Amino acid sequence: MRRFPGPRRTTLAGWTFILPGFLGFAALTLVPVMATFGLAFLDWDSYSTPEWVGLANFERLAANPTFWTALGNTVFYAAGHVPLTLVASLGLAVLLNRRIRGVQYFRTALFFPYITSLVAVAIVWNLLFDPDLGPVNQLLRALGAGDPPGWTSSTTWAMPAIIIASVWRDMGYYMVLYLAGLQTIPPELYEAAEVDGAGAWQRFRHITVPSLRTMTFFILIMLTVSSFKVFDLVQVMTEGGPGRSTLVLSQLIFREGITEGRFGYSSAIAVVLFAVVLVLTMVQFGFSRRDER
Amino acid sequence: MKRHLITTIAVATGSVLLAACGGGSPGAGGDPKGPVTIKVSVWNYATTPEFKALIDGFKAAEPSITVKPVDILAEDYARKLTAMLAGGDTTDVLTMKNVIDYSRYATRNQLMPLTGEAKAVDKTAVPALSTYDLDGKYFALPYRQDFWVLYYNKTLLKKAGVDEKTLTNLTWPQYAELAGKLTSGTGASKVHGTFLQTWRSVVQAVSAAQTGGDQLGGNYGFFKDQYALALGLQRSGAALPFATAFTQKITYKSVFSSGKAATLPMGTWYASTLLADKASGKSTVDWGMAPMPQIAGSSKVTTFGSPTAFAVNKKAKNAAAAKRFVTWASGPEGAKAIAKVGVVPALNDPAVRDIYFGLDGIPNDPIAKKALTPDDVKLEMPISDTSSDVDQILTETHQLIMTGEKDLDAGLAEMSSRVRSEVGR
Repeated sequence: MRRFPGPRRTTLAGWTFILPGFLGFAALTLVPVMATFGLAFLDWDSYSTPEWVGLANFERLAANPTFWTALGNTVFYAAGHVPLTLVASLGLAVLLNRRIRGVQYFRTALFFPYITSLVAVAIVWNLLFDPDLGPVNQLLRALGAGDPPGWTSSTTWAMPAIIIASVWRDMGYYMVLYLAGLQTIPPELYEAAEVDGAGAWQRFRHITVPSLRTMTFFILIMLTVSSFKVFDLVQVMTEGGPGRSTLVLSQLIFREGITEGRFGYSSAIAVVLFAVVLVLTMVQFGFSRRDER
Repeated sequence: MKRHLITTIAVATGSVLLAACGGGSPGAGGDPKGPVTIKVSVWNYATTPEFKALIDGFKAAEPSITVKPVDILAEDYARKLTAMLAGGDTTDVLTMKNVIDYSRYATRNQLMPLTGEAKAVDKTAVPALSTYDLDGKYFALPYRQDFWVLYYNKTLLKKAGVDEKTLTNLTWPQYAELAGKLTSGTGASKVHGTFLQTWRSVVQAVSAAQTGGDQLGGNYGFFKDQYALALGLQRSGAALPFATAFTQKITYKSVFSSGKAATLPMGTWYASTLLADKASGKSTVDWGMAPMPQIAGSSKVTTFGSPTAFAVNKKAKNAAAAKRFVTWASGPEGAKAIAKVGVVPALNDPAVRDIYFGLDGIPNDPIAKKALTPDDVKLEMPISDTSSDVDQILTETHQLIMTGEKDLDAGLAEMSSRVRSEVGR
């Protein structure tokens, strides 16, 4: 029996290890994703013979007010969700990165929302946000607000309500990432700064924030991508309503593709979403490189 | 070596994909001789008793054919079925949960023609059959016909001193007045005079059915009176506010079955749930059925509804056996089987009706009999290639009007202009 020489054997072993995972990835992710770019130029209902339509799907998209509404809503969501989650998770991480009583309990409690069933999260937040009997509005009334927001029943407040719920859900996860980052900062830096007379804010600004730059960049990218892909929480909390006030791009893709069977058109929306996320990520990489210089 | 490996991976990936995509060959399925098994797509099998009734009944009539249900979650049914058919699924019988999806599957050539079988059906006994006529061709046979009635809680009516007979010929203003009279209590113990489910049909389909307005027409002024009534009901406190029902996802079942609403406009399908709930002790509500309220000046009972049908998959493995199931289920034997579990069959036959009214727990007083024999049942939503797009716009604007985000006139104007500009009506 012929034996493979050393390096080839290693390569073969490597391929063998990744093959099962890669096959799953190829069949369920890679091929469908690549297919999306082709489907975007076709008229296809998943059953009949696909028809080449060129840019017609994109023209239709540009002329469809619902698409623009969904794009606007998605940007609104991201503009709220990304910075708020970033600030909240960093704040919590700094707060819980010290030796205080029950710190493990608080860390676990804050991570909990991230692993809680999404449907349960949506139901509970919907209860909290109930315009008449919900605790949120009862509190606001007690504080003197005469006409508190209608939250998920109002076109103005439904998206902020979703943002609040999603920040609450995600901040624990990113807090854990930040905690890992904080623990890599050498305590000597803080001690030296303290000796030099730096206050708490100065230590945070000049030691913590710069030391966490790589982690912040990573979290920023993850948050941006997940914000633009948001689907689940919106679907269970408001289903895009009232009206179209919380309709996001992923829901539109789902509706046009799976519900209406317009796979070409929904692929075109997916391509636009991909392009938006790609451009934003490239911009963020650009800024990050400039900062490093 | 590397090239060899890449080829191997490519071939392996390809074969996995082919295996995943391949649907299996369509079975012409000759006459079933010997035992065959057919699969029927159904929803919520455990809580939708009609499917078991039909499967058991058919098994008794045709012992050589075994029927296996393919159970799908009701809310995902349409999407799941679309995906199954796109993937070349060979489930033999497909239940057509709604008419719009039926027309979609039929025009996409996913269903086997049943024109011959449909021609053999007596059209006067099965008025819903015409709904499935697509240019003279039929691809499904209806077996049940749901339409809307007004459910009422007998105990609450008695408590408020309202004679049940007044519900026999209600107009909408009288219904609103009655709802006000039946409202009592405050806070957690509040009982509303009526409950309006958040679906747009509660306002729109009934309005279209009774005024003759066209829901696909792009001119929705005819909805105005019905919206004014619905908004008035929630403003006066006689109905739970839409915003609460919408955000808390409160459904008619939890409200009416727990005695929190005295009346409820709803489809006849709810009767079988009420029967089952009462039998299992989940609900103790003493209920009745009255005809849907009518617009003033109408002498007929006009309501709206939707039939449910069985179709045969174009790619059915056992098409012949599947057709036998469909004809049996939509025929008199199938009708009797589902009437026994409190479901209104598509076949309008005195013998079947007697079975239905003879059921323990189904109200069989003259008011209920009138409710269940309406003069005219209009289709909930007309079938057209634009139906689902119009439906989406009407649903979105319905939410805006009912939550008070848009005032009535502005909401109706937006409905009309969006349908005209976005769907081209």
